[in-house]
Amino acid sequence: MVKKKRGFQEVAAAAEPVTVEENISLNNLRANLDEIKTYDGVIGYILRNSTSAAIELKDSTKLIDYAIISSSALDASEELSKLFDLGAVKDIIVEGKGVKVLSLIVGENRISIFLEKDTDCEKILKKLH
Amino acid sequence: MDNEVYTFALKNALNEIRNVCPDITNTFMFREDGEIIVGDENTPEKTMVHVVDAFDGIFEKADAIGGVECITIEGSNGKVNVSWLNDLYFVTVTSRKADMNHVNTVTRVLIPTVLRLLEKICPTPLKSKSPLTKTKQTKTKHQPKIPMVKELEKPELMEEPVEETVMEEPKETVEAETKHEQLLPEPPVNQFIVENIGGLLVPSDTVRIDTEILSQWEELYEGREIEEVEIGTFYGKTMRCKVKTIKDSKYEEKGIIQIPEKIQLALEIKKGELVRAKPIIE
Repeated sequence: MVKKKRGFQEVAAAAEPVTVEENISLNNLRANLDEIKTYDGVIGYILRNSTSAAIELKDSTKLIDYAIISSSALDASEELSKLFDLGAVKDIIVEGKGVKVLSLIVGENRISIFLEKDTDCEKILKKLH
Repeated sequence: MDNEVYTFALKNALNEIRNVCPDITNTFMFREDGEIIVGDENTPEKTMVHVVDAFDGIFEKADAIGGVECITIEGSNGKVNVSWLNDLYFVTVTSRKADMNHVNTVTRVLIPTVLRLLEKICPTPLKSKSPLTKTKQTKTKHQPKIPMVKELEKPELMEEPVEETVMEEPKETVEAETKHEQLLPEPPVNQFIVENIGGLLVPSDTVRIDTEILSQWEELYEGREIEEVEIGTFYGKTMRCKVKTIKDSKYEEKGIIQIPEKIQLALEIKKGELVRAKPIIE
């Protein structure tokens, strides 16, 4: 009986800090993204991980299209990284005639930020890395 | 013969680019529809096809960002760049130490010059004749890909968009009832992001979607009321359930489907995931 109790306590003690850390980093990330959203030229963002998704877009009619572009860009980067031995992918930028999409993976979080075409990505990347 | 001249000239140009910039490891070109034009001698066709495939999802939805002009993937060991040059996509793979100014100067001057020169010498459209060359028109235009979760690509979920099946004429030999069914358009399939719905008075067998989508479906079926939908997950699970419009205005026009917990559990999905839904017409 004692053994069981001790075992349970060990598991709980080991699991708790990880969850708290994850929550803190996710909250930080969301806070950073909310700040980035206020920058000039930022249209919105999509943040996804295995348990949740957050979407902030000025034009919600394009949500599905943007979500697919975001996901495709991140998937493509993983495939091409393997194919050409690119190593860890830092970021992916898809430039359209009107909109630019900056995608990156931070921890387990897949992020895409949608920008007006001429917006500088450097400030955003510094904020997120 | 013209195509061979084009291919030969371009292949040489790509090889020369690699000679001038040794930090370029691979280069090739493909058309907007995915047809591969030519690659350097260091890049196997299989690799080129793989790259074009990887960009499928982006090109399919390119209209949403005004068409793709450039894609850059920056890795710790190297970089992939896809640029739109003279109506073609030009792919370069460079090593980490590459001087990108030098690479860009060479590629963005040399390739357009060669293309213009070829156009003057032999003004025919670029077409590759290689049997390995991939033409992706049928795949990209007719099969919506679901890139969020790759395992999803199961046959039952790959239904064609309604616009492409509406015009199918019923065969004369089939029974009258079947004829009637064929006259109806194929149910359109929409993608949604899952959102929770809860509360005491919320029925556990009913999902909620945008009024606009429901109206579009009803319009498609000449005003018939859509009472049920089939939800499909990208893992191949499907479920038929009742449907109503979203009541909470904050979820409207966001591509969201509100699904009660019971259905989420049955479909093994959760908030934030993508699902597909189509109306059930009986």
